[in-house]
Amino acid sequence: MENIGALAILLAFCFAVYAIVGSLVGKWAKRPFLTLSAERAVYSVWALLTAAASILIYSLIKGDFRMAYVWATSNHTMPTPYKFAAWWGGQEGSLLLWSWLLSTYAAIIVFQNRRKFREMMPYVVSVLMFTQTFFLILNGFVASPFKMIAAGRGIVDIGDGQGLNPLLQYWTMVIHPPMLYLGYVGFIAPFAFAIASLATKQRGDAWIHTTRRWTLVTWMFQTTGVLLGMGWAYAVLGWGGYWGWDPVENASLLPWITATAFLHSVMMQEKKGMMKVWNMVLVSSTFFLCIFGTFLTRSGIVQSVHAFSEGPIGKYFVAFMVIGISGTVYLILSRLEYLKSESQMESVLSRESSFMFNNLILLAGCFAVLWGTLFPVITEAIMGEKISVDKPFFNRVNIPIGMFLLLLTGVGPLIAWRRSSFESLKRAFMWPAVLGLMVSMGLFAAGIRSFYALMSFGLCAFVLVTVALEFYKGAKAISGKSGRNLLVSMFELTHRNTRRYGGYLVHVGIVILFVGFTGAAFNKDTTVELPQGGTMQIGAYTLRVVGYEEGENANYSWGRPKIAVTKNGEELPMMMPEQRFYFASQTPTHDIALRRRLNEDLYINYAGPGNGNNNVILQVYVNPLVSWVWIGYWVVLIGTIICLVPSKTKLVFPRTEVVGIAGKRAGAEKHAKTEG
Amino acid sequence: MMLLAAAVLLIALTVLFTFSIRAKDMPAPEPVSPTRHLDERRAAIYENLRDLQFEYRVGKLSDTDYQQTKLGLQKELAGVLSEIEKVTSGVKPPSKPAPAPAPKVVLTCPHCDAKFAKPMKFCGECGKAMS
Repeated sequence: MENIGALAILLAFCFAVYAIVGSLVGKWAKRPFLTLSAERAVYSVWALLTAAASILIYSLIKGDFRMAYVWATSNHTMPTPYKFAAWWGGQEGSLLLWSWLLSTYAAIIVFQNRRKFREMMPYVVSVLMFTQTFFLILNGFVASPFKMIAAGRGIVDIGDGQGLNPLLQYWTMVIHPPMLYLGYVGFIAPFAFAIASLATKQRGDAWIHTTRRWTLVTWMFQTTGVLLGMGWAYAVLGWGGYWGWDPVENASLLPWITATAFLHSVMMQEKKGMMKVWNMVLVSSTFFLCIFGTFLTRSGIVQSVHAFSEGPIGKYFVAFMVIGISGTVYLILSRLEYLKSESQMESVLSRESSFMFNNLILLAGCFAVLWGTLFPVITEAIMGEKISVDKPFFNRVNIPIGMFLLLLTGVGPLIAWRRSSFESLKRAFMWPAVLGLMVSMGLFAAGIRSFYALMSFGLCAFVLVTVALEFYKGAKAISGKSGRNLLVSMFELTHRNTRRYGGYLVHVGIVILFVGFTGAAFNKDTTVELPQGGTMQIGAYTLRVVGYEEGENANYSWGRPKIAVTKNGEELPMMMPEQRFYFASQTPTHDIALRRRLNEDLYINYAGPGNGNNNVILQVYVNPLVSWVWIGYWVVLIGTIICLVPSKTKLVFPRTEVVGIAGKRAGAEKHAKTEG
Repeated sequence: MMLLAAAVLLIALTVLFTFSIRAKDMPAPEPVSPTRHLDERRAAIYENLRDLQFEYRVGKLSDTDYQQTKLGLQKELAGVLSEIEKVTSGVKPPSKPAPAPAPKVVLTCPHCDAKFAKPMKFCGECGKAMS
């Protein structure tokens, strides 16, 4: 069985190499047979990797402990979903997941475009398969998941495995890595089309139109992956937070930031034919940051809760990135003539300039996170000693950047494309600014003194009002014309331009996320050792240890104190945080007790038994507004899905009186209708 | 033996699928449009004009901003259409676009006072009947 798996990977590698050569030679020598067979090879790669992945999954679920990977990540006592999740629980398996997802995306791209973009497709296929070949080298020759455990001259069956890392035995971990990988891998599509567009010297924006939805879906997966990771960290790691600026967390954030910048700046290219070079740079940076993120997780160059063990794999990633980045830079520089802007910025007070600022700020944030993440590597290279920067550095740098981004989220929709006079701006900004200020002043009067919290809540109100006004004014205009009520008109408005109004909803989601983040300014925490019957106070809560339970199952043993909780004298349900000890891996973990409410979470972690007889050590946190982080994510998701819905058609072009040489032709066109 | 058979089958199937290409499998050549990117640009300008009109209707733009931006877009459209004509007809356009003729106002909308050079049934600005 494992031999077939290894053979499938080897064959997939051969077909991937053939696809690169076949598509390029077919294109240059004008041999369409070769081009088509190269596209067929992409399907073959997918089929072979599906076979290899199926064999690995079967071995994990069946428990074939002759295989080193199965032994290291699975055991008999694990529930079946975790046995399945063991596919990406270790280095070799997760690299196979990367490869398989890439081949799936590649097969979809080739199928979707089997009759379109014949000029570009050979280059698209070669970029896809070049990346695929790199991962297949890792799967086949560096980190094979089909290695066997040998003793003496024979293969041995150990009988049972070590099992999945207990920290990964949590429900979000079953979906978090695939989601994040779907995001990471998905950026190959816009990147491949961008490179193909450069290679074929396209002047138009075909690559952007083709990959618009793809980019959004990928961004959605990335957002979901990052948020699921936050949910996992909050519920499993037991330190009371959801984001610790861990290098691998940062690595997942970096491509998300550049992808967000790309989603905005691409509109400049579509609307005005501007920023073509910048968009190429952004889409390439996003793709290579995805590879960089994978490299950080696997190379062991930084210390992280997520990192796999250090191995020789890092140098392969470095080689791939050096080749890929050099090729991309060369292509961009050699095609500058085809990337000239078709129009200029007309005014500083315009939507264009707000997008430019948005891009600059996002890039500043990206650079700050990258700098902080790589600081230990840089200091080691220069001073021979690893110096890490911690949470305060990231917060100090990124909170002002976040505030500025939040401001731009509100400012952007208020400013018109091309130019806005002060008169228009005054009219547009007055109510949102007044209400934002009122919120900040109201909170100040209520006793809040944190400068950033006041600013953040004020800006959140400002952005919410701008978005609400956008919906209201648009719906009112439609309602005035059609006579339908405001709610129906709002649906109509969104349906007419799903991309714009879906985007506004995403902004609302981001605002809600910021509300949740701002709650961290008011966090309370304490660590106490309590005897049986002992009590403690945190915020409005009183906690009393009233008992202790322990037991075991086949996978782990557990102990949990029973904690009676009252809030302002009112009795709440009993909370029982748990400490587990997994037998196979001999590792302790924590299963926290959490009381989620919209205003605040009560979070209790049982750190272990104390020094005294029957004493327990509790870490208790009161985290205000955390639930809004998860709610914000759902709003972002809904907004993104709306963006993906095709806009309603039937919109008539505005009547235009075209002046100049082509007036006659334009006159004939001015009654034309468009497909939205 | 089974293993060998499975391996041979895997290789045979994938090789056969990849290389057994018949003439009818070849995709038809795409029609090549020399003005494709100009057509895309033209569509983008029309969309910009439509957005502009909507933003004006919802009160996001002052009259001056609206008129200035609209004129800018119209000029841009004229340039793109001229380029398209140049490519499709092979006729070289003059180096500078001809100056815009002074609009001759013949009709004013009774509802919004927008002025038009040609008679129209419905107003191009507010959409209401001109009569």
